[in-house]
Amino acid sequence: MSDPLDAMLDLMRRLPPTQIEANVSALVDICPDYADDLLGSVDQPLKVKTDAATGKEYLACDYNRDGDSYRSPWSNEYDPPLDDGTIPSAKLRKMEIAANEAFDTYRGMYYEGGVSSVYLWDLDDGGFAGVVLFKKVLTPAQPTENYGSWDSIHVFEASERGRQAHYKLTSTIMLNMVNSEKRAGEDGKKSSGEIGLSGSMTRQSEHDLPVQDPTSHITNTGRIIEDMEIKMRGLLQEVYFGKTKDVVYELRSAEDLEHARRQRALQKELVGFIKR
Amino acid sequence: MDSSGRIQAVSKFLLESPPGEINDVLNDVRNIIADDDSLQQGIAPALREYNLAQFITVDVPGTDHQSIISKIALVGNPSDDENTSERFLDPRSNTTFKFDHLTLEASDPQPHEPDDASEPFRAALEASVHAYLSSHFSDGTAAVFSYQGSPTVFIIQIIANKYNPSNFWSGRWRSEYEVNLESRLMQGSIAVNVHYYEQGNVQLSANHEVSLPLPPTILQSSPTPSAAKVLALVESEEGEYQISLTETYQGMSEKTYKSLRRALPMTRSKMDWDKVLGYKLGAELSAGKGGFS
Repeated sequence: MSDPLDAMLDLMRRLPPTQIEANVSALVDICPDYADDLLGSVDQPLKVKTDAATGKEYLACDYNRDGDSYRSPWSNEYDPPLDDGTIPSAKLRKMEIAANEAFDTYRGMYYEGGVSSVYLWDLDDGGFAGVVLFKKVLTPAQPTENYGSWDSIHVFEASERGRQAHYKLTSTIMLNMVNSEKRAGEDGKKSSGEIGLSGSMTRQSEHDLPVQDPTSHITNTGRIIEDMEIKMRGLLQEVYFGKTKDVVYELRSAEDLEHARRQRALQKELVGFIKR
Repeated sequence: MDSSGRIQAVSKFLLESPPGEINDVLNDVRNIIADDDSLQQGIAPALREYNLAQFITVDVPGTDHQSIISKIALVGNPSDDENTSERFLDPRSNTTFKFDHLTLEASDPQPHEPDDASEPFRAALEASVHAYLSSHFSDGTAAVFSYQGSPTVFIIQIIANKYNPSNFWSGRWRSEYEVNLESRLMQGSIAVNVHYYEQGNVQLSANHEVSLPLPPTILQSSPTPSAAKVLALVESEEGEYQISLTETYQGMSEKTYKSLRRALPMTRSKMDWDKVLGYKLGAELSAGKGGFS
């Protein structure tokens, strides 16, 4: 028998991405012993919370959680409040503030809406790690519009080596798009339906880049994450959506197969006729 | 979580299995529960529900064709949980057989007496649906059932599966039509599921319901030409649906996807990180006692 955690991760690769939250929570109930391993290995859609101090929205995930409280990147406060909640060192918090501003600009340029959050934490070996989060939800104002949601989770580790820094990035994108239709024709025909396209994918990359001052970490991770998001967005659109559409045509041919068969047979006959 | 709660939770996983992957999901579930005895008994209802809903196909004993396992194909009373075998009808060969929901095997074929009143129209629909299958499905199975006790209602079922685990994809097309010569209506549903999972997990899940009036030329008294017309309606409906599915893909990819996240900012170039961070911000950070090393 293989490791139950491997089986859980295989399940997550197979079951519908739209059900990920319900399914992870069911697995945690079934095997509480594996809860930490599972929650640490499976990314889930991000939750939007509102910072009580600034009124700004921020994103909640496992990386800004302490107990049942979540830390806001804007005020550095936990909600519900914690007296001894984990916070980054003063130096790192300064960089966190700057990173949140920079990635908020990035969010505006690429997402034209949505919410972003950056969380940093100190590592024991002197380096630091962080997570950059984006979430956007499209809520249809009219029934003809599509629903959509996008979650990006970029986790990185940075370690300095002289004037260089080594970055390890793991990026996950979760996506869900739903189209609903309802029609009634004059010929008495009525139809309705729903088309849902959902997915999740994870990619990793490593980079060595020069560091002049602390802002270099923000520009470096910024460029790495920007390139990764562009690459993954393209992959999802071209490869993944394209593939699922192609499979529909593998299942049912839009062309008449009988017609094609007859044409092939006729061609064969003609070739035989010419050869004779 | 108690044993029955666990069974209930994993039953839901089984019912969510992508096309052709229920055995993989079952293997994962076995590793997670690690109690085959209670599992085998507990998940029997979920396996049965899955087989009926997903139009699982089975080789009919004594024939060289496959038949569809579904609710309408059930003969007699549904079995209780202790007996996973129950009988299904293959209307094409007029055979009933036992079917095991765990092993997916058919056995004990018995002849079945068709209903004289409905059989000519049913058989004509069956011939037409097979002609339609060979026109549009390279790997499809179809069955036509007459409705028990009402000789003017017929059910057409179509199922096509393609599993390609070595290339990480699988797909299923299911459609079902109820042809009612009494109410002069055809009601249909199409369900398409596709899974692509090479270094990721992407799924298409599409459902379509349709209801349309039957043209007056479709009559029980002329089975062959009427059946051809019914299948012409099915062909046009499924063809249109396939086109609308492609158009929806286009719209999602061009509009919805772009509204979620643009490929590039409005400026059509990547972000200028140095500029965005700005000199002021940089100076402020650098003043904080040199670097992070």
